Amino acid sequence: MPPKPALNWGLLPPSFLLPSSTPSPSLFLPTTARRTIKSIHAPRPDRFAHNPNLPALGATTTAALDRKAATLPLRTGALAIKRGMTALYDAETGKRMPCTVLQLERNEVVALKTRPQHGYWAVQVGAGWKHPSNVTRPLLGHYASAGVSPKRWLAEFRVKDQAGMVGVGEAIGAGWFKEGQFVDARSKSRGMGFEGGMKKHGWGGQPASHGNSLTHRAMGSSGGGQGSGSRVHPGKNMAGRMGAERVTVQNLKVLKVDEPNGLVVVNGCVGGPKGCIVQIQDAIKKPWPEITMPLSNSTTAEAVAA
Amino acid sequence: MRPLARLKPLLRLSRACKQHQRFLSTTTEPANAWTSTLAALTKPRKPAKEIPTFKPPPSARQICADPIAALTASQLTQLDPTGARTRLFSRKNPEVARVGDVLLVRLKNGDPFAGVCLNIRRRGIDTGILLRGQLTRVGVEMWYKVYSPNVEGIEVVQRREKRARRARLYYMRMPKHDMGSVENIVRQYQRKRAALGTGGSKSKDSAKKNNTKRGRK
Repeated sequence: MPPKPALNWGLLPPSFLLPSSTPSPSLFLPTTARRTIKSIHAPRPDRFAHNPNLPALGATTTAALDRKAATLPLRTGALAIKRGMTALYDAETGKRMPCTVLQLERNEVVALKTRPQHGYWAVQVGAGWKHPSNVTRPLLGHYASAGVSPKRWLAEFRVKDQAGMVGVGEAIGAGWFKEGQFVDARSKSRGMGFEGGMKKHGWGGQPASHGNSLTHRAMGSSGGGQGSGSRVHPGKNMAGRMGAERVTVQNLKVLKVDEPNGLVVVNGCVGGPKGCIVQIQDAIKKPWPEITMPLSNSTTAEAVAA
Repeated sequence: MRPLARLKPLLRLSRACKQHQRFLSTTTEPANAWTSTLAALTKPRKPAKEIPTFKPPPSARQICADPIAALTASQLTQLDPTGARTRLFSRKNPEVARVGDVLLVRLKNGDPFAGVCLNIRRRGIDTGILLRGQLTRVGVEMWYKVYSPNVEGIEVVQRREKRARRARLYYMRMPKHDMGSVENIVRQYQRKRAALGTGGSKSKDSAKKNNTKRGRK
């Protein structure tokens, strides 16, 4: 059906012939053409806002940073090498505490990421040493601008705000962490290669007998048939590469700090083999350690400005 | 320096020049690109700017090459100041406690436990022993950490007549080989020791063949 032509007021009979309910055209004729959709319903409340009194979540980067502020550490972390595990005995209770020995190796601040320039606050820390002939010229320039030697490892540690900035080129030793505080340790777990579902996901496998033949460690069914789509749903756990992924272990207590030897001994285990690189930073789920920052705010401000 | 590095662009240029001449329709002479570019290409390139490199700070890995050993050593000075515990399980000691010996572990809090040693796990500070004994006529196995502050002393009650030819005597869990209760052996040992008057003193340790150790201090 073709669209109905608009009512042409000019073709209407004179006003005295029209029924009384029809308004006078001259009064209600729109002066400008406006095509809009006007909702007759009140706006629906946000289905994610459980409490309507709370302010709506902002979509700006500032709002995003504000949301993240509670879980961002106040100060930077450091890179350490996992040297192995041993145990310490508590002096009073005699309790044995398994621990991981981490060694900080030539940690220095290489660069700072700032909110005005990069959109967030972070400290780039380098560790170890690399022969300059093995470093590309762009990176050599990066290290040279910081006034530090070429680094074997680089990592960024996000901090909450400008107060967490440290001077570029400054060294971070084991004394950065205090005994009794809690840290989060991030590292790359041991790679297991291609593994079956039983090892990778802890599946039960299939019976050894009762007529079972040649399928003892197989995954079994990968999903339902008719009714659930007759397909394998995305994200289905299957056999495949296991390990070699970033693992965070939270809330490890620092049992011992040995500044001259660069040792930080943490309670419990840390992912990855011996000799792997571990990022340690103040635990986000514990109260921040009461440590006075080594730099005053004025000097950090200068460093940021530079 | 790579002397042949410039060869490739030169060849490319000469190929391009040749192609220009090949077109019959081109009436004009090809631009004298060859000579001008040749000059530009053969001109020695400016040497790359030197980027300053800084010396690395001293390495903690060189200062402390084996942190686990250092940590263990520092722990042992506190946990085993006399070194007696280390000696008791050191392979260099001819009087070392071996698997198959009946050992008595005295604890700071709790009853002493005696049993035949099935396994000695030597792992530095984590060195542990597995003892198999009986409590209320039920076979019981207990792991003890040798350097634990809760272990007051470890004594060799009885030595095995012949050296065991296995490192782990797990076969002693089988009823055929189970030693059963060692209570009588321990009582006899304690009576003998009391008779010799070596109960509390450390004087006659060497007089007795077994390498006893009482108290950590």
